[in-house]
Amino acid sequence: MNLATALVVALIAIALALALLVTLRAELTRSPGGKILAFIALFLLPGLAVWSGFNQHMQLAESTQFCLSCHVMADYGHSLYVDDPSYIPAVHFQNRLVPRDHACYTCHTDYTLFGTVHSKLRGLHHLEVEYLGTIPAPDKIRLYTPFNNRECLHCHLGSRTFEEEKAHQRKPGEMAQIKDNTLSCMTSKCHDTVHAVDTLKDASFWKPEN
Amino acid sequence: MSPERIEPRIRLAGSLIIAGLLVQALSLLKIHPLAFVAFLAVGCPLVLAGVVLFLYALVRPEPRS
Repeated sequence: MNLATALVVALIAIALALALLVTLRAELTRSPGGKILAFIALFLLPGLAVWSGFNQHMQLAESTQFCLSCHVMADYGHSLYVDDPSYIPAVHFQNRLVPRDHACYTCHTDYTLFGTVHSKLRGLHHLEVEYLGTIPAPDKIRLYTPFNNRECLHCHLGSRTFEEEKAHQRKPGEMAQIKDNTLSCMTSKCHDTVHAVDTLKDASFWKPEN
Repeated sequence: MSPERIEPRIRLAGSLIIAGLLVQALSLLKIHPLAFVAFLAVGCPLVLAGVVLFLYALVRPEPRS
């Protein structure tokens, strides 16, 4: 449990203790001080607990551990350790180009105004499929929409290695096409090895020291 | 409102809030989608129901005898 979660649990524990006190000794509310205590215990603190708990759950839902907690995602997590730099997620994960504890979310959220909301709604759909639907085989899982270059450019735009890369400027206007997402980074035979979970059985894997 | 009338409602509101807060605390101990759903679909409604009941107990008019 990280510090933020521990603090939220501590807040909920305090709210619980006060709510328990007011519930077991409701006669306390006859005095003016008791009324204030009841207001704090049964309104302010529970409200604060709901708000901070929701916030914390939203944070936890962005963690790699959260995404990989469903069995069907195990191969995708495994693909992050492939010892082959042509695997785009693996090279990002292993070289810390994305935070390892937020590896999935960093690339699979839309960097738009409601990107996080859309991601969470998709997550609810995944949950429905996991427990109430038919779970597809890992290699049959597809993105809802083609991967938008915007998610790559969120980090790469303006970086020297991206802007000066000759392969991005082989033809006139190629860089502009990349930037306006008319030429996909992933499906233009450039960076097309992504998770490739159907190839994992023949792959070798990186074993981190710690 | 007389204490005899408001206190049972406060106890009921408190019980709902306690149940909801317990669910919320337990849900935070595990990083899993079901924990998030338990928080959202069980914990939050219980706490909100308790809070609403508490506020209603405060403003509910005394029934005529």
